[in-house]
Amino acid sequence: MIILRRALSAEALKLRHTLGLWLIWLAPLVIIVLTVVQFSFQKTHGPMGLTPVKAWMNFCRGIFTIWCVLMLPLFVTLQAALLAGLEHGNQQWKHLLALPVPHWSHYAAKALMLALMVVASTLLLCVMTPLVGWILMYTKPDYGVAWPAPWGWLLMHSLECIAASSLLVGLHTWVAIRWNSFTTAIGVGVAGTVAGFLICQSEKLGPWFPWSMAAQTVSGNEQRAMLAIVVSLIGGALTGAIGLWDYARREYA
Amino acid sequence: MLAIETRALSRRFDGGHGVHQLELQVPVGSVYGFLGPNGAGKTTTIRLLLALLRADEGEVRIFSQSVAPDDRRALREVGSMVETPSLYPHLSARDNLEVTRRLLGAPKQHIDEALDIVDLRADADRRVRDYSLGMRQRLGIALALLDQPRLLVLDEPTNGLDPAGIADMRVLMQRMVGELGMTVFLCSHLLSEVEQIATHVGVLQQGTLLFQGTQQALRERYGDALIIRCLDANSVCASLAGLGETPQRLDDDKVGIRTPRLADAEINRWLIERGHTIHAFGRSPYSLETLFFELTQYGVAA
Repeated sequence: MIILRRALSAEALKLRHTLGLWLIWLAPLVIIVLTVVQFSFQKTHGPMGLTPVKAWMNFCRGIFTIWCVLMLPLFVTLQAALLAGLEHGNQQWKHLLALPVPHWSHYAAKALMLALMVVASTLLLCVMTPLVGWILMYTKPDYGVAWPAPWGWLLMHSLECIAASSLLVGLHTWVAIRWNSFTTAIGVGVAGTVAGFLICQSEKLGPWFPWSMAAQTVSGNEQRAMLAIVVSLIGGALTGAIGLWDYARREYA
Repeated sequence: MLAIETRALSRRFDGGHGVHQLELQVPVGSVYGFLGPNGAGKTTTIRLLLALLRADEGEVRIFSQSVAPDDRRALREVGSMVETPSLYPHLSARDNLEVTRRLLGAPKQHIDEALDIVDLRADADRRVRDYSLGMRQRLGIALALLDQPRLLVLDEPTNGLDPAGIADMRVLMQRMVGELGMTVFLCSHLLSEVEQIATHVGVLQQGTLLFQGTQQALRERYGDALIIRCLDANSVCASLAGLGETPQRLDDDKVGIRTPRLADAEINRWLIERGHTIHAFGRSPYSLETLFFELTQYGVAA
């Protein structure tokens, strides 16, 4: 445990002055800004007749859908590539692997750091969402949004979204570390995100496709959401174990 | 006692460049110059020593402790820099050291101590991307020294450095051995540099160790040579071959004969009579470079 804590602490320091650190709050902020812009330009013809709870739900679900379908898969893709790129870029592996530290700790620290980034960004989105609601109360009262914000819904869906991204984190950590090329890591992520965008509405495939699992948590179908979360957690543990095994047996030739 | 010992160490690759039955013996407190032409297996050896590669056969022992990819405890005694230093350019030198310190769990004061040794304390908070190549090399050494190892493994530490940088690196290595009592395993193409600082040398060719021992032993084995400085080494070599000697062209204007058949004076007269311009003529110990060529038959005729 001490070894992992040390590796994680080293990983955190490496992020200083990097885009990865900025992306943690920039990614949810982009979603928030886009939502504000979208609502600002939307025309309403008088009050929409929604209860505050319903109005909040519509609003929060809209934000979380963009996050889960588009931004989260791209965020994981980019962050995994950036984390691995720190070592690929300057042949850092040969230094890290020559240290008297178990090899698995480097891999585990990267995977954990990526998971922590997903947690931080999603929770930031959870906190930022009511702020936009607050802006809307004044700029677009017709939507019917009013205090209090649905904190319970936001927190629950944030946690579900985080859990449903486990497989994505496991997969992208492995791809980004296994192949030196930044293009490979990004290519896999972009292709997966585009496919996930098309697949996420499929009742059959949606809960099984890694890039559309998080989207299931905002589908409104609890069964699909639970299936996606369970598959993602099991898949995340499996890909993590396979990635660790693959990394530990590799040589630096 | 040996700092490094390998027993029948072998590693094969499909494309060559492996090592075969390597029996390295690096004494504690020595500066061991590990030499060999490109593709001889030097980097493979270093990677086997650092457990970056698995051996097909044999064993690596560091200070009598076995090292393998699955058992890396003995590497606690080893600091290394393989080829170019591995640095995070977006971080300061201090942060680069801190990353490794955190991984190793080493005390914090080791950072300043390592910076002092390589004389980078004043620039410690500058980002590494603004460093010169020489400063980066020194920082690479500081990283290797961070956990205060007893053995330093350096692969081409002077790569890309200008003459001043090379001289700095030499002084640094002399300090590490003299003041810190370390053992240095040094792999370098700069034979004149190795000659100045190495107490021991090992010469590797095609994965096989051709010679291992002190520089003194190497010289005793190959003795001195008759060195002729002339206007045109090629024509002098041709004339000497006609005399039944086996000359070596050491440079455009330099020829050596390791064990002349005839007396030196006879050889001199033979060359003068054939109209060669001779600038200098006399006995001289072979340089490490010449001995290296002699051993590996690389670049000149044996």
